[in-house]
Amino acid sequence: MSIFQLHVNGRLHTVDIDGNMPLLWALRDILGLKGTKFGCGVAQCGACTVHLDGRAVRSCSVDVGVACLSKVTTIEGLSPDGSHPCQKAWVELGVPQCGFCQPGQIMSASALLAANGNPSDEDIDNAMRGNICRCGTYPRIREAIHKAAGSKS
Amino acid sequence: MSGGIYRGTRRDFLRHLGVGTGALVWGCYISPKGLFATEHLPEIIHNGVPLGKKNYFVAIVPVEGTIVITTHRAEMGQGIRSSLAAVLADELEADWSRVRLRQADAASDKYGIEFPYEVKAALPFPFADAYKSKPQYLVPAEASQFTDSSRSMTAYFTPMRLFGAGIRHTFEQAAAKVFNVDPSQCQARQHKVYAGSHSIDYGDPLLLFHASKLGDPKYEDVQAALKKPGDWVFINAAKKPMPFVDAADMVRGKPIYGADHDLPGMLTAMIERCPVANGRIKSFDPAPALAVPGVRKVQRVLPSNVQPGGVGQAFVPHDGVAVIADNTWAALQGRRALKPTIEYDYLDDLAKDNAKYDSQAFRQTLRESTAAKGMLVRKTKADLTDEDFSGSASIFEAEYYVPLLAQAPMEPPVATALYKDGKMEVWSPTQNPDVAQQCVGRVLHNLPWDKDLDATSIKLTRETVTLHMPLLGGGFGRKSKPDYIVEAAFLAKLNPGVPIRVQWTREDDIKFSYYNAVSSQYLKAAVVGKKTTALLHRSAFTSFFGTLFPESRAKERAALFNGGVYPYGSAIERAQGLEDMPFKVDKLLIENCPAKNYIRIGWMRSVANIYHAFASGSFACELAEKVGDDSKDYLLGLIGEGGILALPDEAVAEFFNNGLPVDIINLPVEGGKVLQMVPGFPADTRHLRAVVQKVAEVADWDNKVKQYKGTRRGLGIAAHRSFLSYVATVIDVSLSDANELTIHDVYTVVDCGLAVNPDRVRAQMEGAVNYGLSIALLGEITVKNGAVVQNNFDDYPVLRIHQAPKNIFVTILEVDKQTPPTGIGEVGVPTVAPALANAIVAAGGPRIREIPFRKTLQVL
Repeated sequence: MSIFQLHVNGRLHTVDIDGNMPLLWALRDILGLKGTKFGCGVAQCGACTVHLDGRAVRSCSVDVGVACLSKVTTIEGLSPDGSHPCQKAWVELGVPQCGFCQPGQIMSASALLAANGNPSDEDIDNAMRGNICRCGTYPRIREAIHKAAGSKS
Repeated sequence: MSGGIYRGTRRDFLRHLGVGTGALVWGCYISPKGLFATEHLPEIIHNGVPLGKKNYFVAIVPVEGTIVITTHRAEMGQGIRSSLAAVLADELEADWSRVRLRQADAASDKYGIEFPYEVKAALPFPFADAYKSKPQYLVPAEASQFTDSSRSMTAYFTPMRLFGAGIRHTFEQAAAKVFNVDPSQCQARQHKVYAGSHSIDYGDPLLLFHASKLGDPKYEDVQAALKKPGDWVFINAAKKPMPFVDAADMVRGKPIYGADHDLPGMLTAMIERCPVANGRIKSFDPAPALAVPGVRKVQRVLPSNVQPGGVGQAFVPHDGVAVIADNTWAALQGRRALKPTIEYDYLDDLAKDNAKYDSQAFRQTLRESTAAKGMLVRKTKADLTDEDFSGSASIFEAEYYVPLLAQAPMEPPVATALYKDGKMEVWSPTQNPDVAQQCVGRVLHNLPWDKDLDATSIKLTRETVTLHMPLLGGGFGRKSKPDYIVEAAFLAKLNPGVPIRVQWTREDDIKFSYYNAVSSQYLKAAVVGKKTTALLHRSAFTSFFGTLFPESRAKERAALFNGGVYPYGSAIERAQGLEDMPFKVDKLLIENCPAKNYIRIGWMRSVANIYHAFASGSFACELAEKVGDDSKDYLLGLIGEGGILALPDEAVAEFFNNGLPVDIINLPVEGGKVLQMVPGFPADTRHLRAVVQKVAEVADWDNKVKQYKGTRRGLGIAAHRSFLSYVATVIDVSLSDANELTIHDVYTVVDCGLAVNPDRVRAQMEGAVNYGLSIALLGEITVKNGAVVQNNFDDYPVLRIHQAPKNIFVTILEVDKQTPPTGIGEVGVPTVAPALANAIVAAGGPRIREIPFRKTLQVL
């Protein structure tokens, strides 16, 4: 066990944990932030996507010892009130079905839009192919990203 | 969504009533003995949230007027929580901004209206006697909250409307008393009752006082009070889109799923399980796991007197050893340390065979099964004989194969249980809360696993087991089996007072599913000229019978599932595209060939329809190719003019029909009148014909077929009836020179009766197309030495966004608004694999008769 300082959603948390613990479990089990989801544990499904210094990463595969060097943003910190353009577009277009993968989808989508304000379908497919949705909401995810891009510009 | 516009005065009201922090909440609940009853339910109110009594469907908080609607089905992405509540609110004329939802716990005695809904909803008990001639349509003694078979809306649309209309009717009657006018002058609209220039709010204590004195409304009055379709607000999105209550929480990452629920002092368990069905843990060494920091205990999950799970063991989990730790990471590491120390034993008769199970070798076993005559499923009056396949007829035959499939819902199974003071409290996402509750009862009270619980045990279970239902992060049939909940219950019982969360990994989910059956289908046709004159269809599949019942219960199993004797299939599986195979030929013979379980078999979104539709939908197109016809025209030719399938005349004694009657059932009532109680849902191929014609029109089939001729682009079509709905699908694909597949557009047309929530109907159909593509292109579970080979999404791939079609065009067939709603959740899946296989051939690719297509084609 070691002491780490984690910058999460603009707050500094001091935790005494195994430095090899993946960020996912530190967020969920230690900090109680449940919006970041466990779907596969091996960076295959994207349900655990968070931002490290604005970059979309799979938190199941980033150790706390590494994550503590960066600013972490989770779905809870994306906007104070669900008003991020992606969150709004997701609700307006009725994207979610079971909804479980959607925090991860939105974290990937918001990182994409931060880097590319007007992504093509191909850009979207490339940025989002790491995020699985078993309900198959892909057509609406594409549409919502375009909508969010439009509302930003 | 709390209302609270009168919140400022509520405390005064409560004081006035002299009940302190409690209040009387006017409630309406499903009585197991009748339509519904109104009564005063003592409720404790805290911040406007009613606690305490749990068995109401609708509660109205006095003064503030918030209407709390109980949602009692499992929400797994179909939007049913919002949709059913909105149906009720629509008929109740409730102001949606003053409606709040409350998720029911498992309480099937209160919430489990079972089929047939019209009878249950409409019949006060005395009438039930008139129904003795049709006992299968009577209300079962134990109804169910089981959310499966795409039936929530079919089952609950009418009851929800009746509840809403009944309360509105009662309010109008009560307002007449308040204003001292004739009830005909009172009309409810958006949370108020109006009478001339007067109005009174639904929350007004005076209104509620009079309403509570009125008692139950008469069924005839409630039926008369139902709104006309032209007055609907949300239903069929008549004036407003239906609300989708959970979407806002979902996109903000609110803790609404199974694994999100923390309890003080909770520990997390990870379980290393015996990889072979019915096998046992022989020995293990807890020391290496206990050496991992944060690991508290290492315990075998099942007590020694419980037979380990597997084939014939229904919901008993596989034998396993749990590592219980402070957090998930510690549990995972402890489990890794434990794994090499475990030894298994496969000495049990069943386990011995299962440990030899090899899916590749079994494929040959299935082929051999369909090479021989099977159990008769359906036949035309004119016998099909060898002669039909001789002479001038040209003969065509084909075999189709669908492997074991895992559902892989996004949230892996998870359950939390707390054993305290002789009671068990459980938090777990489940499609099957009743059975889960009963299984926990078995754990808690050491009740037997090899037979159904008697009434006393069920009562005891209901009194001692509370099961809360969070949202499901996907279900697809996996979460209808509560084995993971049973694990949590056993561990909780070993650790009194400590909440235990059993967290499955994705590997656990892939390796310990209840898999959709592996199937081999053999079809043989005689074609004279262009006409198919004779058709033989043999289907072999590993029925879930074999998993749900042990051999010792073979008789019960056969009785319950209507004639199927394992290792043949059940009535449920036979009725999913085999008995109701829609093609009209002069001579038809359909047989079911035996296949045993060597691994747990369950079901997955659309179940037996997956392999039956793949076979019949592909074969129809192959026949068209053989005679050189357009595949859409040939499909329409095979369906013919259409009509109600005369199954009883063709040796199908009792067509399961998703649990609903085929025939219209009328009930004689007083005065010689006849009341239509059950509308009847026959398999009518005119509907199938209509969706085929519609999808051809929407996809611009005729023009595109001409346009694509001679290119590497093509269209495929398939049509299927499942869960009482009719679907036809066209897929437009192209192939590169290296046979790399691109799926351009998918057109799918559904006739689902009344589309109660058109947006969610579309969402389900879009999702089903992608789920179906995932199966067709990628889906395959294989087994070696009884253990599943695949681990995670790297070796059990599922469809990703870049593999999904560019466009999915969903068309909902317009129907008369009085048509009852039929299934939606699963119905979009079955047509996808055959339509895709047919499109690939049209684009100049190979004929694929085996899922997954990635074995034949390059799927990028």
